[in-house]
Amino acid sequence: MTLVRLEGVHKWFGNNHVLKGIDLEIVPQEVLAVIGPSGSGKSTLLRTMNLLEEPTEGKVFFEDTELTDVRTNLNQVRTHLGIVFQAFNLFPHKTAAQNITLALDKVLGLGDEEARERALQELKHVGLEHKADEYPGRLSGGQQQRVAIARALAMRPKVMLFDEVTSALDPELIQEVLDVMKRLAEEGMTMVVVTHEMGFAREAANKMLFMDEGVIVQKGDPRAMFDRPEHERLRRFLSRIL
Amino acid sequence: MIETPAEGRQAAFARLILVFGAAALGLVLGGTILVVVFHGLVPYENVVEGLLSSEARIVLYAGLALGVAAIILGFSRYRVMPTKASREQAIAGGVLGIQAVFLGAIILLFREAGDPDRFVFHFFNVEVLRDYGIPVFAQAAGNTVILAFVGELGGIVLGLLLALLTLSKRAVVRAPARVYINFFRGTPLIWQLGIFYFGFSLGLGIRPQISVGPIDFGPAYTTAMIVFVLNTAAYAAEVFRAGIQSVERGQMEAARSLGMTYPQAMRHAIVPQAIRRVIPPLLNEFVILIKDTSLVVILGLAANEYELSTLARQGYADTFNATFFTAAAAGYLVVTLPLIRAVNAVEKRMRSGLVTVGA
Repeated sequence: MTLVRLEGVHKWFGNNHVLKGIDLEIVPQEVLAVIGPSGSGKSTLLRTMNLLEEPTEGKVFFEDTELTDVRTNLNQVRTHLGIVFQAFNLFPHKTAAQNITLALDKVLGLGDEEARERALQELKHVGLEHKADEYPGRLSGGQQQRVAIARALAMRPKVMLFDEVTSALDPELIQEVLDVMKRLAEEGMTMVVVTHEMGFAREAANKMLFMDEGVIVQKGDPRAMFDRPEHERLRRFLSRIL
Repeated sequence: MIETPAEGRQAAFARLILVFGAAALGLVLGGTILVVVFHGLVPYENVVEGLLSSEARIVLYAGLALGVAAIILGFSRYRVMPTKASREQAIAGGVLGIQAVFLGAIILLFREAGDPDRFVFHFFNVEVLRDYGIPVFAQAAGNTVILAFVGELGGIVLGLLLALLTLSKRAVVRAPARVYINFFRGTPLIWQLGIFYFGFSLGLGIRPQISVGPIDFGPAYTTAMIVFVLNTAAYAAEVFRAGIQSVERGQMEAARSLGMTYPQAMRHAIVPQAIRRVIPPLLNEFVILIKDTSLVVILGLAANEYELSTLARQGYADTFNATFFTAAAAGYLVVTLPLIRAVNAVEKRMRSGLVTVGA
């Protein structure tokens, strides 16, 4: 039983061939780290999983639903796929709690009280219940990103997608976000993590995928890939960044 | 810091230059006005007498002399001032001197070479306004504000709707909105007023009238309100479109990935942010509309429906005296100046970051 399945996915941006035939399956409790040079198509791959990017060719499935079928109600499916962005993308005109309750109210139809309760619960999960009524502009980058994680978690998704979530953070704020993600992984959340944090990939992920120039070069156990990189391109990539 | 007695003298000299400049402008402007007011504003002959009086001449020439002194001293000495503050005082004194000389020269020219008697009779003849009375002007100012306010409010609502249509990914939805916007932005408002007035009555056979409580708005007034709404909507639509497009793409992506529909994302995530950003340009449009309400003079308003410009024209027709236009201009300023201040205050607040824009 797979949660997410990609079949022969291609993506073109104009003449730029970004994804070149991706086949991929994500199973429950998988924590998949996606690494690779910039421009290799990692983020595009992640964003096709909830169809923020529509594949030019190929199919995307969530459980048994084909997302690339125009008849599919994407809004319904997207509640099962939480995503966290590099730029946080919190709603600046809403407090931390309101950022979370908005979709609980409008999409899941929870009542005010239940939504607020769940928001506080998720904020507590990321250690920010005391910031519930602050606006994003008054939070640090790390805190904003943790609110964004809480916002995605509050929908009770089956998969969490992380798109370079620490890349826009000051170095001293990265760890608090990684800690939250590690705890999520330990709790058994299924996660796809596009990242430049090799420490996180090695320690917290149970699968790793190396992408280069729009193709999956190698997929396997993170430690094995770090310690004995078989592929020449992976060896070169690791030697440049480690 | 001032350290030597010589530097102390320079600083005192800078203050003196500033006083010269300020006094020059005060004499030319304030002095002349005071002299005129002391001679009396009614009848108009008193105003002329005041302007041509020897007191006015003394005040003017004194102001001019001080102004020239401030210019020469200020611009020749500002470089040697010991502190930044005293340098600025010297420059400010010189600039005030320029303003005083410029204004003083115009007033002097007016006194000596012009025809103050006829000019004041036609443009500053407070007496002819008296018969009309303050309540009539207040009512006209009120009508100006009502016309502009209704136009702006309705235009904002319709304009937001149009903006959302122009942002559709479907050409068949965008096209009619673009046609509408281009039509109303591309034709003169005065022509729109005329064509709608006759279009309603001759074309459609209706004479639009509305009543709010005890107040009845006649066909001309009602047509004007409708046209101001339609016209403002076209401009507001472009303002809203730019505002919505200025919201980061990630906001829409975040909302959609939480399962919100496109309309939900627009309503709860994008538009609230866009509205904050477009408040200053919309207020600017409002100021412009206040003045554009004057175009209803081409329609036949009933006497109790007069706005400032129609009242001025009627007053001029009754008395052959243009002081009514001067009074109308004053009326517009009373309404627009506070608004212009409000626009500037909001923009300043936004620049200082108290109103958050973006994540």
